[in-house]
Amino acid sequence: MQEIFANLGLGFQTAFTFTNILWVFIGGTLGTIIGMLPGLGPATGVAILIPITFGMNPATALITMCAVYYGAMFGGSRASIMINTPGDASAIVSCFDGYPMTKQGRAGAALAISALASFIGGMIGMFFLVFLTQPIAAAALKFGPAEMFSLMMFALVATITLAEGNLLKGAVAIAFGLMLSTVGIDALTGIIRFTYGAEALQDGIDFLVIIIGVYAVCEVFKNFKDINAVYKFDSKHIGKVWITKEDWKRSLPPMLRSSPLGFIVGVLPGMGGTIATFMSYAMEKNLSKKPEEFGKGAIEGLAAPEAANNACSCGAMVPLLTLGIPGSGTTAVMLGALMLLGVRPGPTLFTDHPEIAWGVIASMLIGNIILIIINLPLAIPLVQILKVPTRIMLPIIMGLALIGTYFLNYSSFDFVVVMVSAVIGYLFSKLEIPLPPLVLALILGGTTEQALRNSLVLSDGSLGIFVQKPISAVFIVLAAASLVYSLAKRKKHAA
Amino acid sequence: MTKDTLTGIIAVAVGGIYTATALVLPEMRMGDKLGPKIFPLVVGIGSVLAGLALILGDRRPGKQSKKADFGFVEHKDLWLKIVLTTVVGIVYGLVMDKLGFLIPTTLFMLFISTLINKGRLVQNAVLSAVFAVITYGVFAVALKLSLPRGFLESLLPF
Repeated sequence: MQEIFANLGLGFQTAFTFTNILWVFIGGTLGTIIGMLPGLGPATGVAILIPITFGMNPATALITMCAVYYGAMFGGSRASIMINTPGDASAIVSCFDGYPMTKQGRAGAALAISALASFIGGMIGMFFLVFLTQPIAAAALKFGPAEMFSLMMFALVATITLAEGNLLKGAVAIAFGLMLSTVGIDALTGIIRFTYGAEALQDGIDFLVIIIGVYAVCEVFKNFKDINAVYKFDSKHIGKVWITKEDWKRSLPPMLRSSPLGFIVGVLPGMGGTIATFMSYAMEKNLSKKPEEFGKGAIEGLAAPEAANNACSCGAMVPLLTLGIPGSGTTAVMLGALMLLGVRPGPTLFTDHPEIAWGVIASMLIGNIILIIINLPLAIPLVQILKVPTRIMLPIIMGLALIGTYFLNYSSFDFVVVMVSAVIGYLFSKLEIPLPPLVLALILGGTTEQALRNSLVLSDGSLGIFVQKPISAVFIVLAAASLVYSLAKRKKHAA
Repeated sequence: MTKDTLTGIIAVAVGGIYTATALVLPEMRMGDKLGPKIFPLVVGIGSVLAGLALILGDRRPGKQSKKADFGFVEHKDLWLKIVLTTVVGIVYGLVMDKLGFLIPTTLFMLFISTLINKGRLVQNAVLSAVFAVITYGVFAVALKLSLPRGFLESLLPF
């Protein structure tokens, strides 16, 4: 316990400088703005804002990226509340009661409870994060290659079994991601693989370029069909951005219940904010004495999913920071941003660079406080961004995405990769092939392959090593159980 | 053709080509003997199997997935925009190193803006120029990041 507080103190020492606080403010505001834009979500927000961290020292850059991530989480529901159009999938539930509140002339209260619930969910999530990371990271330090391989397998399987959608299409997406991860020179033997004569591919495919392609550019493509969308609302009818005592009394218990739920969902790979928000909404509706008010502007129907969503974003940081495994599209982008800054998340991060690991955690705590300050008094000016027509916003997003691509490697070839991956991503979305498992597999592919090969060298080629080691066997059993459960659930659903 | 069948065919084709390529990879004589081949083989075969399962599953009566419809005809304007944006995006990347940042970025933004925001030439021109100047200011001047320098940039004092 004492060690945790000492580490947290070290984190605050790293994070608490004027420059860092200023960047938390800037990053948080930019994240809020991008996160609130209809059709674009936190993943896109983080992807296109990565370049603003180039040129900064690593600690400031990391802290800024976390602020962007957190800001996007805060901003996601603004469009749901004001114009009934969610910023991303996890903000869909916020439309159910947020928009009816706006129609009742209570937009101010809706914006306020959304910010307050995000803050409370975030703080509760941070509490769990602070106390869970150290023991998980310490346990993970004992993992050998067999345990790492089984863990990666579990993460990949869980990504498709816990998420909605066709399992086999998820498997295809994982296979494609793993294939892409093997392109280029093999790090262990120096053999060139799968480049088909293209010299530009010898260094492999930068997964951040693919991420910008499938999350930022592809989202612009998807929005091409709504280019004439103009969102209007009357700012004069927003009212005071605050809540009454009665609102507070109704909202507090749902927020306190939904936050731990959201956190647990966030820790599991593949589930993410969308499932957390739907689960918390359903739970509160079931527990409510007035369930008939849900969907008609019940403030707890907005408070619960908002708290769950932000707690979920903290939960998602647990596997990311301690094991180096991103559980969702947004955390995959975050992982990319961290790796770009020379930080490889995983258990050794907590032993080799505790100031960075704990600096990130401390910056999230600070960011949470700064974001409530941004999102309450500045709520009305910030939502005015929604009035900027889509036809003006899309070229700007596109321009930022391509400039970001250039900064990654200063390579013209990356423009080919980013545009082609965006087109393929668009075609895949039409075929309902999920993209998060592909991105996750692309990121984890190198580590997974290395762990497999090292394990097989240790066992002299025997696959038995994966079940002989107890921890590895547990992950294999968990992966199998997750697969069986998912198949049974789908069969029941179909029947 | 249905979505699942088409996905299956793509998975089998890509997985097949990938597996065939993996099979001809050289083997190591010592240490990590299966090394560079084993993982790609597992992945390639996995892709083929998942693809076959999708195709076969889609042939069961009453279990067919929806028809694959990319809207190439119905939404040809949308596809034209996607194709043009893709081509211009690639060209933008190819010319940037030679022409510098400001001119290609302004032209790229003007093209994309005109494609999306039709009939507002002045607005688009202003947006494009302002975007190029602001991003140059932020990245090259404020953050001191290296950006390609062309004719215009060589005239600037920073």
